[in-house]
Amino acid sequence: MSVRRIVFKVVSAVAVMVAAASVTFFAQLAVPGDRATTLMNLQTGQDREWTAEELAPLNERFGFKDPILVQYLHYVGGLFRGDLGTSYTQKRPVTEVIGGQLLPSLTLTVAALAVAWVLALAGTLLTVRRGRVLSSLGAAWEALTASLPHYWVGVVLLVVFSVQLRVFPIIGGTSAWGSVLPVLTLAIPLAGFLGQVTRDEFEQVLQQPFVTTARTRGMSDFGVRLRHVLRHAVLPAITLSGWALGALVAGAVIAENIFGRPGIGQVLVTAVNTRDVPTVSGIVLVVAAIYVVANLLVDLAYAVVDPRLAAGGTR
Amino acid sequence: MTRRNRVALATVAVLASGSLAACGGAAAEAGGEPQTGGTIIYGHVQEPPCIFGGWIQQAYISRQVLDGLVTLADDGSVQPWLATKWTVSSDGLRYTFTLKDGVKFTDGTPVDAEAVAWNFDLWENKKGNSTAKVSIDPYYKSATAVDATHVQIDLNKPFPLFLTLITQGYFGIQSPTAYKGRSEQENCEKPIGSGGFTVKEWKHGQEVVLAKNPAYNSWPATAKHQGPAIVDEVRWKFVADGVARYASLSTGESHVVYEVPTVNWKDAQSRYQTIRYITPGKPVSFFINTKAGPFTDKLVRQAFAYGADRKAAVEAGFHGVIPYEGNPAVSQATPGYNAEVAKAYAYDPAKAEQLLDQAGWARGANGIRAKDGTPLTIKLVYGAGFIFTQEGATVLQVLQEQWKKVGFDVKLIPATQAEQWGGKYSDPSTFDATPSYWTSPSPSILWIVWRPSLPDSPNGSNRSFYNNDTLSTVIQQANSEPDTAKANALYGQAQQIIQDDAAGVGLYTQNSTYAVARNLKDFWLEKSQGEPVFSDAYFTK
Amino acid sequence: MSAEALAPPRRRLRAVPLPSAGTALALLVVVLVLIAALAPGVLAKGSPTEIDLASTLQAPSWAHPFGTDDAGRDLLTRVIYGARQSLGIGLGATALALLIALSLGFTAALAGGVVDAAITRVLEVAFAFPALLLALLVISVRGPSVATVITAVGIGSAPGYARMVRGQVLAVRQAGYIEAAAALGHSRFAVIRRHLFPNAVRPLVAVATLGIGQSVVWASALSFLGLGVAPPSSEWGALLDAGRLHITTSWWLEILPGVVIVLVALSVTSLGRTLQNLLGGAAR
Repeated sequence: MSVRRIVFKVVSAVAVMVAAASVTFFAQLAVPGDRATTLMNLQTGQDREWTAEELAPLNERFGFKDPILVQYLHYVGGLFRGDLGTSYTQKRPVTEVIGGQLLPSLTLTVAALAVAWVLALAGTLLTVRRGRVLSSLGAAWEALTASLPHYWVGVVLLVVFSVQLRVFPIIGGTSAWGSVLPVLTLAIPLAGFLGQVTRDEFEQVLQQPFVTTARTRGMSDFGVRLRHVLRHAVLPAITLSGWALGALVAGAVIAENIFGRPGIGQVLVTAVNTRDVPTVSGIVLVVAAIYVVANLLVDLAYAVVDPRLAAGGTR
Repeated sequence: MTRRNRVALATVAVLASGSLAACGGAAAEAGGEPQTGGTIIYGHVQEPPCIFGGWIQQAYISRQVLDGLVTLADDGSVQPWLATKWTVSSDGLRYTFTLKDGVKFTDGTPVDAEAVAWNFDLWENKKGNSTAKVSIDPYYKSATAVDATHVQIDLNKPFPLFLTLITQGYFGIQSPTAYKGRSEQENCEKPIGSGGFTVKEWKHGQEVVLAKNPAYNSWPATAKHQGPAIVDEVRWKFVADGVARYASLSTGESHVVYEVPTVNWKDAQSRYQTIRYITPGKPVSFFINTKAGPFTDKLVRQAFAYGADRKAAVEAGFHGVIPYEGNPAVSQATPGYNAEVAKAYAYDPAKAEQLLDQAGWARGANGIRAKDGTPLTIKLVYGAGFIFTQEGATVLQVLQEQWKKVGFDVKLIPATQAEQWGGKYSDPSTFDATPSYWTSPSPSILWIVWRPSLPDSPNGSNRSFYNNDTLSTVIQQANSEPDTAKANALYGQAQQIIQDDAAGVGLYTQNSTYAVARNLKDFWLEKSQGEPVFSDAYFTK
Repeated sequence: MSAEALAPPRRRLRAVPLPSAGTALALLVVVLVLIAALAPGVLAKGSPTEIDLASTLQAPSWAHPFGTDDAGRDLLTRVIYGARQSLGIGLGATALALLIALSLGFTAALAGGVVDAAITRVLEVAFAFPALLLALLVISVRGPSVATVITAVGIGSAPGYARMVRGQVLAVRQAGYIEAAAALGHSRFAVIRRHLFPNAVRPLVAVATLGIGQSVVWASALSFLGLGVAPPSSEWGALLDAGRLHITTSWWLEILPGVVIVLVALSVTSLGRTLQNLLGGAAR
């Protein structure tokens, strides 16, 4: 990759992140309802109107009455200094609000993605073109799991494995054992999704001439599947994974909610409800960053398993 | 989002009162050996933004860390806490408190008169706690340290319920030195008081870890033992999901859980100790918009009240656990409660139909009534998932069906927290009825809620937009009446006015329900608004 | 095994995900759901909001095959009546997503240059934007309702389709026959309408069918977060949300609607894949 290209990539990545945060910033200002009123109601647990006098200190402190452009420039200026602002409600820097929740969220999503991959690959390797019954079963299983609503999986897993069988803790927190069910909650539907995509590709690749070539050279069936077919078949799923990592935030909030787990999903929902503009924008910035990095990794992964490099089975 | 939790609408109050904390569960408790130490795991629902503040969720937790001047006993009397005794001047305007000797905040500074006066100033004049402020606002004048152990509070007008009101958690005393010397964030996360516990760590999104204050020497007169907390730690966990929260008791992952799902209540009673606390103050009742829409007509409001079997709906929706409350103004746990008022508007569909006919709303082809071509549509806005749990939503759906039978087309409009807090439904044009509650240990809540909204002093809490001068006068008389019996008669009269005019429609009492593991003893709820108390609790073997 | 492996690749027929019996079953489910959505009265006798406080929380029986809820309402009737909204959300959201995707995708691919670059950037940002947040924002502006859920889910899934449309249009445009048509003197518009559009859209049809199933699941997730459709609607997500507290005491309230959602999403998806294979086969 040329230096120019790398610079371009980095600049556009930053642009995407800032743009995402900016869109969020403006979108939130467009939401009806006064931020100072929301804060007052939150602080008092009420849902009423307040007089201008009562709201004045909040307006002054957070600059709610400044022209929107001034508020925006102030915010973006902060971004470039690494300052995401201060949470209106928690009174601490947004970097800290998010920082504390990022690790559990990342662990959850990355683990879910990894488990989903393992499940999807196992399903594909073991069932594609292994006879009509096994193939159909594999495909049906994938279609079934891909149709499962996250939260339903979560609630059912919780009741079966934690409440009834008591295998896993109910309030797992961030412990490894307690993370098993949240990870599965996200991983099972995702595995179905990835499996479907991989299966299609796998079937096509199995028909390619180079596969036959490899077989005639005496390679075992499993070896062919693993060494040649799979590396081509996973490409679409790799692309999807980049997207999935960002999308998992949404699923994560449900797992967090059911299993009482910390994470940015929960923070996001609370922050939107309380009109905590800097926190919401900050989370979007972070999710955008994750997305950008994930896609960078996808590009790298592509380079590693690119079919053209490996076509014909020789290196 | 969490969603599913309720925001307790905050409070203000003035009189002492009787609400009941019934201890259920199996009476036959194996009396085990008391243990010292250990960690109590408490499954709570909602996580507040800061420990101390004007929201009831904050009062619950700040009660563990901060002590108050006085506390409320189960009989409704005000008892010593940081103040050992107090005197009230004959004109009812000056309260002089004598502070307990030798009490220190956990930062080592003394709990003296200076500190107490500074706290009052913080709440009332420096935006330190808006609920504390609104509780005593029109009456509070100033706080002065007379000497190190005597603090004097001056009022503008007599207000006998002042003492009762300051028993609430919003009036927890913090260390001025710590407050002034630390960052806003530290004050938010780890307020410094003289309480039985200190905030050791706040794992946001997960739990607050409270550690025993070994030097604790300022327990209230109502405490169940003398001395510092018996357990070492309380882990105050946030478990939004009701199924998980309740089930965590059975696996031993928690020892106390809040808000037991009503479907599990019977099971809880057979397996654990249970506590049901009926919150005093405004119950969960409908504000009825008297300023715009069909409810400007009193007959229609009354028909609305008659038109649905609210009692049966509440019993079904909450599986008989939560009591119906027919009095829209104050709940049965509130001192000065008028039980007669609660009996009005018992389910009578025929009466409802007759009132609607009389008011000129005639049946249309689809069964919905209309007048001058306008259908009788009622916009019923409710806080989905936070003020109203799923169980409450069931009650509303049952009522909706019954109202339909007498000709009301009730539209249920779930409001998100963002909408409700953002004031989307504060204008009279946006809703016709909206249910809410406001906990308070005293009937002076009537003044907060029903004070007329005037141009120069608007009252945003009067969500029925109901301005009644007679009502206003009666409540003010009651608030300043030194004789409790006379005051309660006046409060009762105020409730009667509200009910007669159907400015509100009663529904059910706001409750706190707890299930407690059998091997944990002396966990209790204080009286003013059911704040949990952990500093006396101990495990048995 | 190796005999099969060594055999020449089978002809065009790519394995259909479910055997034909499965496809027939899927078709049956979809037909039933369509009937439920269009004429629920055919499948259910009673009213979905009929309260019966004398028979609350009854387990499944002949009288109530899915049991009753805590207001004594018949759950099967509620599920049947909920089909219209659930399916409507799925279809509506997918239609909205396609509309946005087609306009953006075609504009980008046909205009090229700055416009293409701009739209591509916008899509890039949209991808990086969490769909959940989008839903939350739309709902906090508009309040929870069917229309809001459709908007949120529709906009949320549009960028994926848009990127696909753009890619398809570019690919089709480079195919020889488009140039041939242009060389034959067909107008630009005619080329787009007769050649570009059908060829670019065909693969989308199958993917969109998959999207309907996913949208139903998505919409029910919003209901779970308390952001769904207003009661007393029996949209399936709302049913799951209502049933959650009861899962340990009245399992049917949570399990049965869940099974229905899965069954419907599964059926729609597998029909979509069958369609995809048929269309895909035709295109090659």
